[in-house]
Amino acid sequence: MATLTAELPREDPKARVNSTLGMIFFIGSWSMAFGTLYLSFLILRDRVDIWPPEGIVLPNFALATAGTVVLLASSAAIHAAVRRGRTGAPGFASLWCAGLLLGLAFGVAQTWLWYDLLAAGGAPQSGGYQSLFFGLTWVHAAHVALALIALMWIQYGIRTGRYGPHRISTVQNTAMFWHFMDVVWVVLYLSFFVF
Amino acid sequence: MNALRLSFNPAKTLTRVLASSFALFLFSAGVSAQDVVNRWGPTPSASSYGDDFDDLFWLITALVSVSFALVVILLVVPLIRDRARPGKKASYDHGTSLHDKRFTACVSIIVFVVLDAWVLVIAMEDLQTGFWNYPNPDNAATYKVEVLGQQWAWNFRATGLDGEFGTPDDILTTNTLTVPKDRPISMNFTSKDVIHSFFLPDMRTKRDVNPGSVNIAWFEPVIAGDFDILCAELCGFAHYQMYGKLHVLEQDVFDTWEKEASLMAQAAYDKNDTEAHWAWEWQE
Amino acid sequence: MSGDHIHAEPTSFWKKHVFSVDHKVIAKQFMWFGLLWLLIGGLMAMMIRWQLANPGMPVPLLGNLLFSRTDGVIDPATYNMLFTMHGTIMIFLGLTPILIGAFGNWCIPLMIGARDMIFPLLNMLSFWTVVLGGLVGLYSMFVPLGATEAGWTGYPTLSTTVGTQGSGETLWALAVFLIGLSSIMGGINYITTIIRLRAPGMGWMDMPLTIWGMLFTAVLNVLFLPVIGSAMLLLIMDRVFGTTFFVPASIMSGASGGDPILYQHLFWIFGHPEVYILILPAWGLVSDLLSFFARKPAFGYKVTVGAMFAVTLLSAVVYGHHMFTTGLSAMLGESFMLLTMIISVPGEILFFNWLHTIWRGSLRLTSAMLFSMGVIFVFGLGGLTGLYLATISTDIFLHDTYFVVGHFHLTMAASSLFGAFAAIYFFFPKMFGRMMSERLGKIHFWTTIIPLTVVFCTMFISGYGGMPRRYYDHTSASYLAPLQHLNVITTTAAFILGAAQLIFAWNFVRSRWWGAKAPDNPWEVGTLDWTTPTPVPHYNFKEIPVVHTGPHEFSHPKLGDRDWISQTDKLPA
Repeated sequence: MATLTAELPREDPKARVNSTLGMIFFIGSWSMAFGTLYLSFLILRDRVDIWPPEGIVLPNFALATAGTVVLLASSAAIHAAVRRGRTGAPGFASLWCAGLLLGLAFGVAQTWLWYDLLAAGGAPQSGGYQSLFFGLTWVHAAHVALALIALMWIQYGIRTGRYGPHRISTVQNTAMFWHFMDVVWVVLYLSFFVF
Repeated sequence: MNALRLSFNPAKTLTRVLASSFALFLFSAGVSAQDVVNRWGPTPSASSYGDDFDDLFWLITALVSVSFALVVILLVVPLIRDRARPGKKASYDHGTSLHDKRFTACVSIIVFVVLDAWVLVIAMEDLQTGFWNYPNPDNAATYKVEVLGQQWAWNFRATGLDGEFGTPDDILTTNTLTVPKDRPISMNFTSKDVIHSFFLPDMRTKRDVNPGSVNIAWFEPVIAGDFDILCAELCGFAHYQMYGKLHVLEQDVFDTWEKEASLMAQAAYDKNDTEAHWAWEWQE
Repeated sequence: MSGDHIHAEPTSFWKKHVFSVDHKVIAKQFMWFGLLWLLIGGLMAMMIRWQLANPGMPVPLLGNLLFSRTDGVIDPATYNMLFTMHGTIMIFLGLTPILIGAFGNWCIPLMIGARDMIFPLLNMLSFWTVVLGGLVGLYSMFVPLGATEAGWTGYPTLSTTVGTQGSGETLWALAVFLIGLSSIMGGINYITTIIRLRAPGMGWMDMPLTIWGMLFTAVLNVLFLPVIGSAMLLLIMDRVFGTTFFVPASIMSGASGGDPILYQHLFWIFGHPEVYILILPAWGLVSDLLSFFARKPAFGYKVTVGAMFAVTLLSAVVYGHHMFTTGLSAMLGESFMLLTMIISVPGEILFFNWLHTIWRGSLRLTSAMLFSMGVIFVFGLGGLTGLYLATISTDIFLHDTYFVVGHFHLTMAASSLFGAFAAIYFFFPKMFGRMMSERLGKIHFWTTIIPLTVVFCTMFISGYGGMPRRYYDHTSASYLAPLQHLNVITTTAAFILGAAQLIFAWNFVRSRWWGAKAPDNPWEVGTLDWTTPTPVPHYNFKEIPVVHTGPHEFSHPKLGDRDWISQTDKLPA
């Protein structure tokens, strides 16, 4: 009976609103968490006259930019995947998969960025700038890692037919969280590398 | 049933005894306030702005006591008068009438004006003329001290005779600070390790001593004598032993002391003792 | 997954009693968990008081067991650990689980007419996360060098490796982080449940005030626990990975250093709302209970809600009054002073409404009612003394003295605890199906409020005398020696207060198993929770109730002899 998509039990629309609301509150809460980290960044930056401090090794701009582009692309892919998933249009699974792979690529770029900086002599212990850079990107990366596991779980669910137009709220909420990670990273990127 | 028969309910009696002893306690606490102050209040204020604290403290105490007495009355009257008993019916009142809203608004305004605005205005004035009215550091009358906190001691540095910090004639002391009477004492604080807090209860002042930045405070002693210096911020297991003495000397006695101490410091100056060479540019 | 469907009751022991997703089971789990920690934290308070009254004397009874290395004497480091863990335990593991965990979980679905929380699995996770946090906190007391000594506020640089070695402080920060995580999960669940699962007919202004209190607390939890979570992460990084967020360059070598004051900002951005996180549920509960037992409608319901909302808003913008001696700029200091004082206005409105609610009522002086009135008394004392501390020029002297200790114990500790006691006496019949002894409850009330008032009012006097807090021994400084009498008075009263809690413990345990069977609605109140049969069946309501009346319709003139009406009934026209 469960083989035909059309016969699968459809999601209760009320439950969809419930879980989306829960995710919105969750993201609101986590915005405060990242906001706190960002406040620390602003205050510590304000304490010194020259930023970044002179004579320190800075993280690799090109690598970080590449990572940013990859992450933005990932978000775009996930967004496109959800739009298709909602209507049942083809490409749901493959776009989601692309988003997942791009997300993993961001993880690789991020790890590379850390090792690159460590090799050049910038360690978390080196001072305020390095503390902020490592500390903030670590916390972000930990959330990205958890989000990637969720993305994989959804990917598996799409393959088995668990998720689809009949059951989309978990997919939408995961995507929402993924976009949130994207926004946080863009703020960090702009703060550390652009302004 | 005999109406005059006395019934004894131990729980009820105990409750009544406890409740009345509570009332008695509150009453006696009120009447013995003056005794309490004489016995356990702080020592008399010894600084120019210390009386401001004492006055405002008692003004707030008066305001707060009246407010709290009102609360207690409004709590006790229903407790006695409005107890449930057969046939007693509570009044049906949601408190939503215009009259009630106006009454609430009036009480709020009174509370804000009497409790808050009044105290706020006095406090602002006290701060502007007292605690925040930092003396001019270039004025010759201002006596400057650099205070370096550490676990668990106070290090003091005065300029000595040359008026400059970081010179061999600086008077360095640990846990004793000697200052002249009737002159503004301006202080710079920082810490070697953890946060401390420089507390002079007799002068009614206190300032945190933070590592990594310089904090400032001032006071003007108006009584000569020996006073206590306490640490008011948890700074490790010997926090309670981190105390020092403040000696306030009359100007002429102080001059003799300063000259002697400065000359002795110059004689004892050790170029290689870098530990003792802490000093920083004066901050205001 | 949401709480509006009936699922079969689980039959296995583990699913039913341990890893249950039923809000009622989770509420009871939170209750037992919190009571256990209250006991531990309370014992610590007793040891702290012993040391202050008898400095350096061996602790009787428990001393040789706990401090065998020093022959039963509390040494200064152990003393610091005791007050640090006492604060942390009481706030995060005692009061939060009971008021928010237990009564949030119990009241929200039952009072709004829902079958469960909206995210039952998240609810279970929330409980087990706080258990994990508690275990980490407990473990931190047994590592080499012992628990942290940096105070519950954990100010750096004392809380970094500059001031405390060993893993005690790191584990403490981890425990606070985990407990915060648990509160956020609970908060998201509470808010969503209250928004989505209210029974048909229950508008926002038909909710019991308890639910309003819980809602505001949940909002503060969701917004401000992440702040302390992040601060704890930064502290852990400083300790474990050698970053320098809170360690200035002058101490650690580095091109640019950190700032210990940054931590104070982050801590109090969370720390001040935390005070209201603990007190708002108590306010909500008390607002309801006063009306229930005065048999009178809650006076100015909407104004009460508005006042609680105003306090919630203001709580986020007054944190600077904890830092008046830190070295804030004059402008910041003045702004925080003004904003803090403004809180007295909504605070006063709450008092006004409570006192007006009981005025010309028909007071049933049950234990729950006595404790509710006790909250007015205790919070009155605590709240009014806040004025001294909001005023910078008096706070400079009183900051970090026992005056502050007395003030915050009365406001956030004693008031919340009284609220919790009132709630326990009130909800016990529904939760456990048995009545608590009213006689023991009343004795418990009087033997609690009298010594409690003595304990904390004496602290006001010693604080005014200039006695700094967190001192191992006040007799060693000549200035403080005359104040030692006060310590003896405080300690004596504290021991009586502690012993009185044994009455409660006995009453609780005895009633739980051997109390008289409770009727469905022993207090004759109309909220939805009391329309359920006792014990409350799995999934609460056979049919989702329809609400027709407000929660406080007592003594309506047209009701005749009956002085209450259920929220599911219509008021006579």
